[in-house]
Amino acid sequence: MTTNTTETTDIKASGWRQEFWSKEDWWAVWLGLGIVALAYIFYLAGSSISWIAVAPGKWSTLSQLGAQLSKNGIKYLALLAAFLVLFTIVISFIGQKPKAFIKSFIFIFVLSTIIYIVGAWDQANRYNLEPPLVALLLGLIISNVIGLPRWLDAGFRVEFYIKLGIVLLGATLPFTLIIWAGPVAILQASIVSLVTFFVIFLTARKLGLDHRLAAVLGAGGAVCGVSASIAVAGAVRAKKEHPPIAISLVVLWAIVLIFVLPLVCRALGLPTGVAGAWIGTSEFADAAGLAAAQSYGNLAGHHLGIAGTADQALASYTLIKVIGRDIWIGIWSFVLALIAVTVWERNETDSKVQVGQIWWRFPKFVIGFLIASVVTTLLVHGASLADYNKLVKPSLILPITALRTWAFTFSFLSIGLTTRFRDLASTGFKPFLAFTFGVVVNVALGYFLSVVVFGHYWSSIVTH
Amino acid sequence: MKIFNSIGLGNSGPSCQECTHFQNDPALIEAAYPGLTIMSSGFASVRDRDGLCNYNQIYLSARDSCPHFCRI
Repeated sequence: MTTNTTETTDIKASGWRQEFWSKEDWWAVWLGLGIVALAYIFYLAGSSISWIAVAPGKWSTLSQLGAQLSKNGIKYLALLAAFLVLFTIVISFIGQKPKAFIKSFIFIFVLSTIIYIVGAWDQANRYNLEPPLVALLLGLIISNVIGLPRWLDAGFRVEFYIKLGIVLLGATLPFTLIIWAGPVAILQASIVSLVTFFVIFLTARKLGLDHRLAAVLGAGGAVCGVSASIAVAGAVRAKKEHPPIAISLVVLWAIVLIFVLPLVCRALGLPTGVAGAWIGTSEFADAAGLAAAQSYGNLAGHHLGIAGTADQALASYTLIKVIGRDIWIGIWSFVLALIAVTVWERNETDSKVQVGQIWWRFPKFVIGFLIASVVTTLLVHGASLADYNKLVKPSLILPITALRTWAFTFSFLSIGLTTRFRDLASTGFKPFLAFTFGVVVNVALGYFLSVVVFGHYWSSIVTH
Repeated sequence: MKIFNSIGLGNSGPSCQECTHFQNDPALIEAAYPGLTIMSSGFASVRDRDGLCNYNQIYLSARDSCPHFCRI
């Protein structure tokens, strides 16, 4: 373990109050809800945060782009300064080095701005220059071909950016949609999660792998990727070498599916809502799935014969992934911990399985996502459709959407920049085989449920 | 029943988080597991306060305990 070059924060004996300041999930909640509150205060005052929530507009010639940048240059600098201040506070509280983070984040912001601008080019779709995929690909090339100094990793906080983006996404999704579609999302996701888990677990056991490794692999494929693997590893007291095997397999397949799923959806001409549901069911990590869902959603309305809207892809994806899969990780951990203690019999420890882990392991950013959705739904409740389109949307919703897109872009870029294939642990053939079998079943079953069984449902979800 | 006897609301005795063999610093976990930060984080809620036991060579909860406990 490399302890000499890593700044540490001693949370060994941290109390529950410290959780609020030491976990990225809670910081995503504080920042996300703070931004929503600020946006609403400005809206009530007859103004908007749109000045700072700048985003490149569509452009077709370099002179148009130049005019846009010279007009909005100061806004981009102000946005960078705002992000730097907020994120540096977060980084300081969780115990990381602010100095390294600031340099790294400026690097990410500059690259993200370029990616955002490329995505706003009116010919971007023609050349498949979808911002999420461009960000990921660019990051992968930089980290694996060119190489970056390790200290720059300080700013590549994939999970923090994606959680902040999801909380902001909540502010643009009606809570009525979550109530309406949530049960179907939970049903669909539960079927796929259970089947995928048992396929991976039983295949791994058949191949002679340890119970705990089988469970860590199964959770990674069935619930929420690397996060599920590391949560279940702690719950079942996995061997030290088990989590890296699951991490490598999840990352490998998640990156493959980021590119493959949108391509297949496009080839099949799936409506965006249906594609989002399939991606939500079959991708592993939140950030990876959002990259795939957003890139496919961006193809809607570009004369490619793809029905639906970009928001439908994000909405159905988020419902399936966050509501259908992520929030159950505490239950999975508890049940598997119980089985580990009562059936698999490990002698190294003698403690009981604690019910509290259902809450302790709960992905807290979901609370922010739900609160943001409830609050904005109540705020815009009285507005007529005309008022919504004329006032609420441009002054309140679109600026939050722009900030959300920035957060997602930071995350997608960070996935590429942190993925150094040579650093990933070797998995061995048996874990690879078990996990890959689960991927195949997951993708096929996810397609069947999203397209054949619930296709009519996901294609008609209303996001405004 | 064994299954109900195995469920608890908390550990009354010393727990791993007070043990010298246990390390759960998020930054150390991220360094120990390269790739964790690609699609998750050492600072994520799902990780709770889990960490590495250098005695048993396992990854486990800070709220666990074992006969080899050694107070810091």
